[in-house]
Amino acid sequence: MKRAFWAALLSSAFSVSAAQAQEVVQWWDFLSGGDGARMKQLIDQFNTEHEGEIQIEATTLEWGTPFYTKVQTSAAVGEGPDVMTYHLSRLPLGVETGTLSPLTEADMTAAGLAPTDFQQANVDAATVDGQMYAVPFDIHSVVLYYNKERLEAAGLLDANGLPMGLDGAEEFKAALDKLKEGGLDQPLSIHDSTGDSTWRIFYSLLNQQGGQFLDENGEFLSGDNLDKAVAATDLMASWVSEGYAPPNIEYAASIARFTGGEAALHINGVWEVPTMTDLHAKGELFEWGAVQLPVFFDQPATWADSHAFAIPNNQGNEMTPERRAAVMQVIGWMAKNSTFWGTAGHLPAYNPARDTDEFRAMQPNATYSSLAETAAFDPRSPLAGVGSPVYDAAGNFLMPAVNGELTGQEAMEGMRDDLQGQAY
Amino acid sequence: MTRTRRPEALIALALLAPFLLTYAVLFVWPTAQLVALTFTKAPLIGAGDWVGFGNYERLWKDRLFWTATWNTLYFVLLTVIPSTLLGLAIALGVNRLKGWAQSLMLAAFFLPYILPVSVVYRIWSWLLDGEFGLLQVPIAALMGENVPVFRVIPLFIPTVALVTVWWLVGFNVLLFIAGLRNISAEIYEAAALDGATRGQMFRRITWPLIWPITVLVATIQLILQLKIFDQIYLFAQGGRTDATLSMVGLIYRSAFQKNQGGYGATVALVLFLLIVAVSVLQYQLLRARGQR
Repeated sequence: MKRAFWAALLSSAFSVSAAQAQEVVQWWDFLSGGDGARMKQLIDQFNTEHEGEIQIEATTLEWGTPFYTKVQTSAAVGEGPDVMTYHLSRLPLGVETGTLSPLTEADMTAAGLAPTDFQQANVDAATVDGQMYAVPFDIHSVVLYYNKERLEAAGLLDANGLPMGLDGAEEFKAALDKLKEGGLDQPLSIHDSTGDSTWRIFYSLLNQQGGQFLDENGEFLSGDNLDKAVAATDLMASWVSEGYAPPNIEYAASIARFTGGEAALHINGVWEVPTMTDLHAKGELFEWGAVQLPVFFDQPATWADSHAFAIPNNQGNEMTPERRAAVMQVIGWMAKNSTFWGTAGHLPAYNPARDTDEFRAMQPNATYSSLAETAAFDPRSPLAGVGSPVYDAAGNFLMPAVNGELTGQEAMEGMRDDLQGQAY
Repeated sequence: MTRTRRPEALIALALLAPFLLTYAVLFVWPTAQLVALTFTKAPLIGAGDWVGFGNYERLWKDRLFWTATWNTLYFVLLTVIPSTLLGLAIALGVNRLKGWAQSLMLAAFFLPYILPVSVVYRIWSWLLDGEFGLLQVPIAALMGENVPVFRVIPLFIPTVALVTVWWLVGFNVLLFIAGLRNISAEIYEAAALDGATRGQMFRRITWPLIWPITVLVATIQLILQLKIFDQIYLFAQGGRTDATLSMVGLIYRSAFQKNQGGYGATVALVLFLLIVAVSVLQYQLLRARGQR
């Protein structure tokens, strides 16, 4: 008994001295589910490789507004973590509230990264007023999932097994008609019961027309942008009103309609790729694929957001230069090892991580990775981004319009006035 | 007399001090701070510029504030009286049972109450899912088609109210059972000897004697339901949140989502005053009725 006590005391004394020699980086993220499991694997790998130098102590918190509120309040009293995950769409509000610590060139050098390692649109999304505040980790977006067997039967697959004849608003409907003839009552599945999912499709369609949701003067849907927004809304609403997709479908139900074979096409986030992969591996899913959204209007464009890493501006509790260097080393390591993150469906933001054989062999990710080149990030405003007033307004105006409760014109005018009224 | 009084007062003060101090620090001071906050354009954290009655003017003109107030009062109307009366009805029924049957029934009614709101939300959103929900079978039989009840604005508040009554009524039942057990059996025996019917016994004995408990239950429910947030927030997520907003929802949205602490505090103060006014009014009204 006594010996055990001394042994315990001795070992704790050793671990204390060991802890002093290495930097312990406090890490907060909002990644749960499949994302969370993969991130934990990356963190474990990092900790093993950096035994005795840097150790990450990770905490996973509630996604969305609760996460960002906690970050803001804890940074204000100097109790935030050393590094945290952040949505780039949420960056403008983070900067406005003084929650984020600016990243210098020296920081980037310490991480072994350069802005040119990322897509320009991605770097822009990580920058506010010419100052970089975050390092992009991935790009996530929406894609078109398809049922190979159904599309093949309808003559919609090309020689490579990829969908064809889906580009163009009318052509897309013609393709849906063919699927209907093949025995599917409502061949398209979209999650149309909430604002966030409808927003992602809408924003893609708006950008496919070169439309701007928020212009340089801080005006929402100014000039002919309103007409483009109405066109985007009307197209989505026509999918529902013309019977290609049922109205008011909840998230889980929208996936179930696709995986259950009721719908052959499904628009959803890349984060559902693991779901499909796992189901297919268990032999519970037909042959499937995922491609970049078709071009419904003039040019390719897809809504996108990024998980990124940022350092909180811990007021009155600034970290030591050594700690900061360690944090940047963590961020750099994560970027360079982000190919594995692609298995979660996301596209690694770090260009070289997508330029590997491992990634090219990762399907269907490699097929839809082209969307990164025409990614359209959310408007740059404290009113926009994940869990923002823009998302709320989408729930209040866009979603009812898609389900036929409002006309496209009413919805977009309402959305414009609502958001303009909040910009005070 | 006076010689002994002073030390007594001092001792009393000394004994009261811990409570008074805690109350002042944890309640009075934050409340005063909240009132001060309503006159500023403060963010969520830290101080803000003085704007006088600017927030109150904005509140008066804010369409959302009036929607939120109406929704909150409508929700209170649909929950407080039904859950009080239902609680009494169930308690009367359960009280007539004996032994394990009584315990079993009481547990059955109390069980939903111990669930966290997130579980309640999951259960009901699955039951009522527009595509695959179990309850859509009777709904489709009745209406001819599936109805996504949480996405149809006129059905939203009534449905959430129904779920809330189901969830919380168990606690009311418990309070009423305690009240019913306090009524002496001898009174009923005497009434039975005098040939009173069951209806008469309820009207002349049970109802007057249970009245204080009814007032208590109704008041607890009133204060609780005026602060409605969780269920409405969860069921409306992603949908038409403007049309279904509650007052606490507006506070949350202003302060935490939009970083407008000053405006959030203003709404909070109005809600606070509303709760004080309505509950004092209700308590006085009900008590007056009971003393007659």
